Formats: sequence, C-alpha cells, structure tokens
Amino acid sequence: MIFSHPRTWSLSVKLPLTITAVVVGVAITVGMAIVVQERDRIRENLEEKALVIARGVAGVAYEAVLRNDYWGLYKSLISMTAPTESSENPPGILGGMVLDTEGRVLAHMNPETNPVGMPLLAANPEQRKWLREVLETNAPHIHTAQGEKGEYVESIVPVQSEGSVVGMVILHLSTEEIHTRTLAAAGIIFGIAIALAVVGSMLGAYISRRMIRPLNALANGMDTVGRGDFTPVIPLRPRDQDEIGQLVESFNRMTGELSEKRQLEQQLALSEKLAALGRIAAGVAHEVNNPLGGMLNCLDTLKKKPGDEELVQRYLPMLERGLNRIRAIVQGLLAELRTDQAEAWGDGGCVEDVKDLIVAEIGERPILLLWSNQIDDKTCINCGHLQQVAHNLLRNAVQAVGEYGTVSFRTQASGGMLLIEVEDDGVGIPEDVLAHLFDPFFTTRASGTGLGLWITYRLIERMGGEIEVESEVGKGSLFRVRVPAKMVMQSALSGAA
Amino acid sequence: MRDGTSVTNRISRRTVLTLMGAAALARPVLAAEEERPVRFGLTAVVVRENLQFFERWRHFLEQRVGRPVRFVQRRSYREIMGLLQTGEIDFAWICGYPYVQKREPEFIELMAVPVFQGEPLYHSYIIVHRDNPATSLADLKGKVFAYSDPDSNSGYLVPRYLLASTGASPDNFYRLTFFTYNHAETVEAIANRVADGGAVDSYVWEFMAKTRSNVTERTKIISRSQKFGFPPLVMRSAADPELKRRMQAAIFGMREDIDGRALLGQLALDSFSPPNPSLFDGIRAVAQRMNEGKP
Repeated sequence: MIFSHPRTWSLSVKLPLTITAVVVGVAITVGMAIVVQERDRIRENLEEKALVIARGVAGVAYEAVLRNDYWGLYKSLISMTAPTESSENPPGILGGMVLDTEGRVLAHMNPETNPVGMPLLAANPEQRKWLREVLETNAPHIHTAQGEKGEYVESIVPVQSEGSVVGMVILHLSTEEIHTRTLAAAGIIFGIAIALAVVGSMLGAYISRRMIRPLNALANGMDTVGRGDFTPVIPLRPRDQDEIGQLVESFNRMTGELSEKRQLEQQLALSEKLAALGRIAAGVAHEVNNPLGGMLNCLDTLKKKPGDEELVQRYLPMLERGLNRIRAIVQGLLAELRTDQAEAWGDGGCVEDVKDLIVAEIGERPILLLWSNQIDDKTCINCGHLQQVAHNLLRNAVQAVGEYGTVSFRTQASGGMLLIEVEDDGVGIPEDVLAHLFDPFFTTRASGTGLGLWITYRLIERMGGEIEVESEVGKGSLFRVRVPAKMVMQSALSGAA
Repeated sequence: MRDGTSVTNRISRRTVLTLMGAAALARPVLAAEEERPVRFGLTAVVVRENLQFFERWRHFLEQRVGRPVRFVQRRSYREIMGLLQTGEIDFAWICGYPYVQKREPEFIELMAVPVFQGEPLYHSYIIVHRDNPATSLADLKGKVFAYSDPDSNSGYLVPRYLLASTGASPDNFYRLTFFTYNHAETVEAIANRVADGGAVDSYVWEFMAKTRSNVTERTKIISRSQKFGFPPLVMRSAADPELKRRMQAAIFGMREDIDGRALLGQLALDSFSPPNPSLFDGIRAVAQRMNEGKP
C-alpha cells in the first residue's frame, strides 16, 4: 500500500492539501456559477440581437410589403443581416425571411429553395403555431428551436402598417455562438481557478510549514522531556505571537521550571543524605564514646595499680564487654554498608535456618515459637536479606516477650507479594517509641545498639517493600513485611543456577 | 515673353479676373444667374456605383459649361421626367421609352445619343440564372420576373413586347413580377435567384461583365431583342439656350479631349453623337403597339 489511511498522514501534507482542495472547490463553484450566468447572459444577448435585427427589417419593410417590392425586401434582409465591419463575430444568421399574412414568402435570404410568392415549405407545425400567435397578438415572439443546421433562436416580428399586421419578419440566429462564447468564458474562468489553486496550495504549503515546524519541535521536546531530560528549549521567533507561539513559550517555561525543580530536589536529597550521614557519624561517635570513657577509666586505674590482680579480674570483663559493644556497633554498621553485596540465593529452606538460630536464642526459656513457613522448598529466594530481616524481627520479638510468652512467625507468597509476619505477646511498644522505632541508634535496651530495626527497615526499603507495626502496650506487637516477590523470589528452573 | 510679362504687370487686378473668366476656367465671374448650379438628372440607365467617376465628370462639365454642375439622382424615370417638367433640372440622361412617350406640350428635346460599340444602339437582354434550364421567355411561365422600371424600354417595354409577340399576356404570364429600378440590380436579383428571369439593358450587362463579372457570371442570356436607340441625353426645351448650347458642346467635345476620352472610357462608350430623333422610331413603334394592346 503506497497510500496509507489519511489519518496517518503528516499535517504538513494534510494542511496544504486541505487548503488546495478548499481553494479549488471555491474557485470551481464560483467559476461554474459565473459560467452559467454568462451563458444566460449570452443567450439573452443573442435573443435580443435576433429581435433587434428582425425589428430593423420589419421597421423598413412595411412599405415594401404593401407595394410587393420583393427586391426591396430582399435588399433590406440582406443588408440588415450582413456582417458589419464593427462587429468581430459574424452574426451566425441561419435564415431570414419576410412572410405575408397568408404565410407566403415575400423575401427569403435563400431564395433558391424558398421562391417568392410560394408558401413557406420548411415551416413545421410548431413554427406555424407561433406565426399564427404573432399574427393574432400583433406582438413579437422569440423561442429556441432545433433545425437541420443545429439549434437556433427564432424571432418573429410582425410588420405593421397603421396598426394592422401586413406581414412578418422571421430570423434564425444560430446558438452556436452561445456555446463558443461560453466555452471561451469557461476557459478563462477555469484558467483563473487553476492559477488560484496553484497560488493557494503554494501559500498553504508555506503556511503549514511555518505552523508545523514549531509543532514538530514541540513534539520532539515533549518526547525528550518524557525521557526525563528537561533541557530542550524550542527556539521561538519574536514574530510568532500566535497560539503556537504561546504554546512553545509555555513549554519552554515548563521545561525550565522542571529542570530547576529537579536541581532543587537533587540538592535537597544530597543535603538529607549528608544530614543522615552526620546523624550516623554522631551516633557512632556517641555510642563508641560511652564504653570508651568507662574503658579508659579502667585502664587508668589498672595503670595506677599494676599489680592488683583483683582489679584485673574485675576490669578485664568490663573492657571485654566494652570492646564487644564497639565491635557490635561497627559490625552493625558494616552489615548495613555491605547490604549491596549481600545477595545469596537459595531455596525456601534458608528461612528454616533462622528458626534454628532463634530456638538457640530462646534457649531454655518457656517461650512458645509458632512457626508457619509457607515458602516452598523449591522456590528460590534471596536468602541473605530475608534471613537478616526475619532474624532481626524474631530476635526483637523474643526479647519483647521476656521470660515466657508466644512468638509467631508466618510467611506467605501470594499475589506477587511475599508476606512475612512476626507477632509476639510481649510488653508492646509505647506510642512515643513507635515514632522513632526505625531511627538508627534508637534503642530502649541498655545493651542494644539501635541498629537492628534501622537495618531491617533499610533492607526492606531497598527490596521495594514496606513494613508495618501494630502494637499495644502490654498486649504485644505485630510486624508485617510485604516485599514484591520478583525482588526476592525466582522460579525454581531459572533459580537453580 | 518678356513683353507679355510687362504688359500683364501693368493691367489692373479686375482685368486679370475678367481675362481668367474668358479663358473658360469655370470661374464664376458673371451675374448671379451664372452662379446657380446647372442640375443634371441621372437614372438607372447609368451604372452609379463609381462615385469618383461622377465627381470627375461633374468637374469636366463645370469647366466646359462655366457653371457649377450638380447631378440629381432619382430612383425612377418618372421622377426625373417630373423634375424636367417643373424645371428643377435642365438636363437628364433618360431612356428611349420615356422620350417617345406623348407629352402635351413637349418640354424636352434630344441633346445627345451615346455611341456604344460603334453605333448608338443597344438591345434588351432576357437573362436567367446560370443553372436555370429555361432557354426562352416561354419557359419562364409561372415564374418570378424582374423588371427594372415601368418606364424602361429594355427593362420593361421590350420584354413585355417580346412575350406579347408569342401570344401570351404579360400581365398574368408570371407568378410574380417586381421592379428593381436599376438594371444592375436586376442582374443581381437574377444572380441571387430572387427572380427567375429578368430584362436588362445590354449596355449595363456588358459593362458589368467587365467590372463585376462575379455577378454576371451567375447569369446567362437566353434572348436578345432587336436593336433600339440608346438611352439618350435630353434637355429641357425652356432652358437657357446659351446654357443648352454650351452643355451640348461640352458633351460632344468629350471625345476631342484627353480627359473626356478617359471619362468615355470609364463609361465604356465611344462618344456622344448628335441626336437623330428617328433613331427612336423602333421604340415608338413598339410602345404604340403595346398601348393598342395588339403587338
């Protein structure tokens, strides 16, 4: 298909085509109207001419008719119908005659076939009817008839003498002139129409090019903006103050504002990052500083009394605890900073490994662990992240229940999401704590680093998931994690590798 | 020459004008009577297409007569005869038939007779269209016939006489007849087939055969009459005798003069000869027999 559907054509084709079609349509319609009018006018002219010539003959004929001056009548006919030098076109006279009231020929332009004194042989019934009518009404008549030599206008004018009709002048003018002159007029008019169409289409092409250039630029600009690049600026000429010009201006303003906004956002994000980093650094400094103070005191005391075994026995565990605490903080930080690389794929069984850890954590305490892992063994999951999330949440739950209670662990994969729920019936979380639950270094326990839930939160965020907390003081808490399955699960076949 | 010049220089201006008048230079130097134009009537006899010719002929006559000359053109002989009778014109070129018609009292007299092809005589031609199968007047029964003038000899009297000679009645032999009042137009009427047949002056037909052969070619002569006296130039009897004498002299003198001969050549005539009334006896006889109703 060379020609596609017009709806797919470019505006730069459709617009000039439409303008050309409109111009041609208008020109042809107006032209045809003029031609039709011109044709009527030419016909009227011809009829008038036929009447004028016949009247001219009739005006001088009455005396010759009365005197039977056949030669005089013939001369009048010939001289009235002879082409004059002034008129460019020959009158196109097919026939002319003078008849008496009985219908006999008094003079005829073609006397050979229409001898004087004889009835008019060529008369047809219609013509006879008109002749009778002219005789009766004493008024000129004109009509169009069809003859051997083609269509002609027939004028019949009575020859009058003192009010009574003594004869008739009949003139036949060929209507060929109407056709030739109409054709000539039509030629000129359609020539003008074609010239107008050419000019119109050229103008249309120019206008559409001017209109479409900024539109194309706009479309390209939109495309670029859609891809996230806010830099395109469409050149706007000062004279384009029309709607398209306004559109281009609005677009340029929009892209400018968008890129400014993004710059601001980027700056904001950077400063937030820096602030967070600052907070972490401050937290680290603070958390590290606390045990450091005690440890330095211990060391100071040990230096003063180098030989005191009891002090050594008392302070060494303290120093060890302090260093362990610092190591825990640093390890937590490292774990958080390493999360990008902590991707290790395995089957659903890796979640079960967490169960062993937690059972060990619970130890001898009478804590009931309700374990419901719905993840299939054959499903391949991102173990590292999930294990850490599950372990963190479960450890918190175990700590929350204290000496005895119930901890529930449930996993479920449905609707493209992986759901993990950890529930306990421990002390619950007060409202003021809930607000800072996921802040780094926020902890309610003396031995806590305040990094567990923060790291959990960061991991879930990184996997594109979300975490919810429902808690009531004295009754327990429920942590619900939803992670898009595609982030953490692969089908068994592809995941086997 | 030297003497002559000095003499002329000495005479007065008035004398010079008188001398010039005497030299027949057509200068109107005499009484008021002499200023009045001489009127000359023309009829269908003469082929009147060449206006330049009449202008030259008028000029020629003015020079010879010594007075302004005006040609008066009328359609019919009857009108010209009327003008002669009332004295509006003094001279006319008419036809033999009007000349022989009885007038009481007679008011015209013969001035000159043209000589055509060696003799002051001509025929009446009966002509039809070239394609017309008619070979005689009898074949034109029930047809349309063109006469030139009811007072014409060759264009009316003679064809009627010829028909009457065959025993037919000229008044109801044809379907229609009409007058063209001009011999040349009779030829045109036949050539254009408005009329089937017509009678025409042989002089006019022969003249047209030379100057407008495209018209005469479309006609043919089916009958020639006997010879008759050529249409004469007449003058009013009551006109000034001196004028008559000078006009007659001018007419006769045409063949003696280079200009005159050129004019005669344009008319296709040999000369104008002195009149002989007996020349028209033939016409008179025909007219008399037709008037009696018995050819």
